[in-house]
Amino acid sequence: MRSEDVVHAGAGREEALVALRARLQAPALNSVAGALPFGIADLDERLPTRGLALGSLHEIAPGAEGAEAAALGFTLALVARHLAAKPGEALLVVARGHPIPYGHGLADLGLDPGRLLLFEVETDTEVYRAVEEALRADGLAAVAGLVDAGLPLKQGRRLTLAAERTNPLLLILRPPGLDEANGAATRWRIEAAEAARDRFGALTRPRWRVRLDRCRNGRNGDWLLEWDNAAHRFDLAKTLARHAPAARAGHG
Amino acid sequence: MAEDGGPCVVAAVGQGGLCLIAVDAQAHALGLRPGEPLARARARIGTGIAVYPADPEADAAALERLCVWARRYTPTVAPFGAAEGGDGLFLNIAGASHLFGGEAGLIADLAERLAKNALPARLALADTPGCAFALARYGGARSRAPIVPPGGNAAVLRDLPVTALRLEPGIAASLRRLGLRRIGALAEAPRAPLARRFGQDLLTRLDQALGHRPEPLLALGEAPSFRATRGFLDPIGHQDVIVAVVRDLMGEVAPRLEAAGLGARALRLTLHRVDGHASTLDLGLSDPTRCPAQVGRLLDLRLDRLGRELDAGFGFETLRLDVTATGPIRPIQVRLVGGASAGQGIGRLADALRQRLGRRLGRPEFRESHIPERASAPRRWMPPDRAHPARRRAAEGPPCRPLILLRTGEAAQEVFSLAPDGPPQRFRWRLRLHRVAHAEGPERIAGEWWREDAPVRDYYRVEDEAGRRLWLYREGFHSANAAARWFVHGLFA
Repeated sequence: MRSEDVVHAGAGREEALVALRARLQAPALNSVAGALPFGIADLDERLPTRGLALGSLHEIAPGAEGAEAAALGFTLALVARHLAAKPGEALLVVARGHPIPYGHGLADLGLDPGRLLLFEVETDTEVYRAVEEALRADGLAAVAGLVDAGLPLKQGRRLTLAAERTNPLLLILRPPGLDEANGAATRWRIEAAEAARDRFGALTRPRWRVRLDRCRNGRNGDWLLEWDNAAHRFDLAKTLARHAPAARAGHG
Repeated sequence: MAEDGGPCVVAAVGQGGLCLIAVDAQAHALGLRPGEPLARARARIGTGIAVYPADPEADAAALERLCVWARRYTPTVAPFGAAEGGDGLFLNIAGASHLFGGEAGLIADLAERLAKNALPARLALADTPGCAFALARYGGARSRAPIVPPGGNAAVLRDLPVTALRLEPGIAASLRRLGLRRIGALAEAPRAPLARRFGQDLLTRLDQALGHRPEPLLALGEAPSFRATRGFLDPIGHQDVIVAVVRDLMGEVAPRLEAAGLGARALRLTLHRVDGHASTLDLGLSDPTRCPAQVGRLLDLRLDRLGRELDAGFGFETLRLDVTATGPIRPIQVRLVGGASAGQGIGRLADALRQRLGRRLGRPEFRESHIPERASAPRRWMPPDRAHPARRRAAEGPPCRPLILLRTGEAAQEVFSLAPDGPPQRFRWRLRLHRVAHAEGPERIAGEWWREDAPVRDYYRVEDEAGRRLWLYREGFHSANAAARWFVHGLFA
């Protein structure tokens, strides 16, 4: 009824069209209550919500076989960053094929283990059921599911619908390959990268090669990200020079 | 029952081969009695007897099912023990009979329902379990269940045989030899000589039957104090209807719980099927609750999971909800904005996941151990007031423990090191060749000698050329004679 008002009341055709366009876009933007910014201008600009939209589904996959640990690290780093900014707890639902993250390793990555819940299940179906249930609960800031196979369209849509109400950070980590349309807002591909070194050549912060592969209403991109576990911050890695011993080992 | 309608018996291995342990009415009419050897019975009667092997476990399970069913009359139902022969049950109907129109009404209802289920049963109602047992077993007329008026025990028992007192066979035989065949005679005999000769058991049994001494019943399960029951004219079988009824039942219980300042921590729903089968569902809650909607939702999730496992048959005729465990509800200050507090939300999630998927929520927990695989493991989630907080804070320095820890070290093959006791330059693990670009270590972790004699491990953090970071260890000290054994134990992010 309002749209008709606009059409009739509008002085010109152009004006009415502009108003209608604004109305068309409004729900899509209004449904997003917030976002988790990466804190990197170049990256955040490419995402329509200036960060990972809360309350919508994000898909993370390793870029290749062997990058599973890196992809899990990136997923949990996002959860840690979100938990640092928001109150509440995070839930990790793990299907049988995935290893359970190690408590001390989680703490080393900057996640407070006292705010992380673990739920082990057998199959992917059970993962989706548990995640859906978790999306209905109060008090959860982030929900991450680790599945054995690809993310099917039906499950993706269900999760997106369920997440709209409680607005948590929703991540699904799946194995490499098996790309299919699934209604996720973004798809990330993670590959291992050489860690940052201190001036003595010792490993310090983990780094990942992060590719934004698909992004609804946004642009794709490629970055080498560095995770600061103490400050819960992502940085663009400075890949200027390799440390001498590392360079030697690389050529040898 | 035999297919051809002939006599049938149940036999089990006894003294000197197979013996009869139960006979049906036809076999009884032919003169067969429990305890007779099967071969002799066959020789006397011919081959027309159907013989079934005994299955005591199935008998016990069937008796327990019957006890669960009988809880519809009273919460205190005790199956017969070994002394009674294990083939019947006691119902303590004190304070419960008025719900069924008095004692006579209850007995009539019980008899009718048992008959409908084709369970031939002998019923008796008396002041004491001992007297009721004696009457049911040795009371004579089967047509009508005897009801002993209060205080009438001695008169009824007088003419019954002494075996009705649940005595050991040896004692009963000795008593018969002494001429004490009836309970009346036994009751009048001087007590001291009896106790000296037969022990205290005989007098205990006699006193229990006469009501001079109490006999506690070993009731099946505990009697919950909060419960609600609903019977239906038409049986129900639809999930939504069951959930709606349970919500109503919880609504009935809730005011009583509220008056006591309690909430339900565990609930048991008993579904009585039309054919007499009763199944129970237990629901557990992490926080005590009185909320019917929450209970209804948990049940809905549970039924979702059970699916066809819960056989509704032709429908359920009675639903009963018992609160089996309660806990105090402390009033919580509800925030004006945001509704329930976070801890409550997680508690509800934990309950919902447990009902829907049958698994428990966990949280990483740390233990005092240097052995990596022992130092942390997921532990059951507990509500905040009962939980032990995780003891380790998020780290400040660079990661020194892997994000993924393999269950046990996996052997690395084709290990090549430059220095004999140094870290590997390359190795093969899970079919992939890793060329090491950087290695840090060793971090030596000794085995826990008070547990087992495990070798020392030297851990290295290793980064390969593709940027994959692994946690390797060498088992034992370096030795010139033996080749070093390397294991991959974890993966860093």
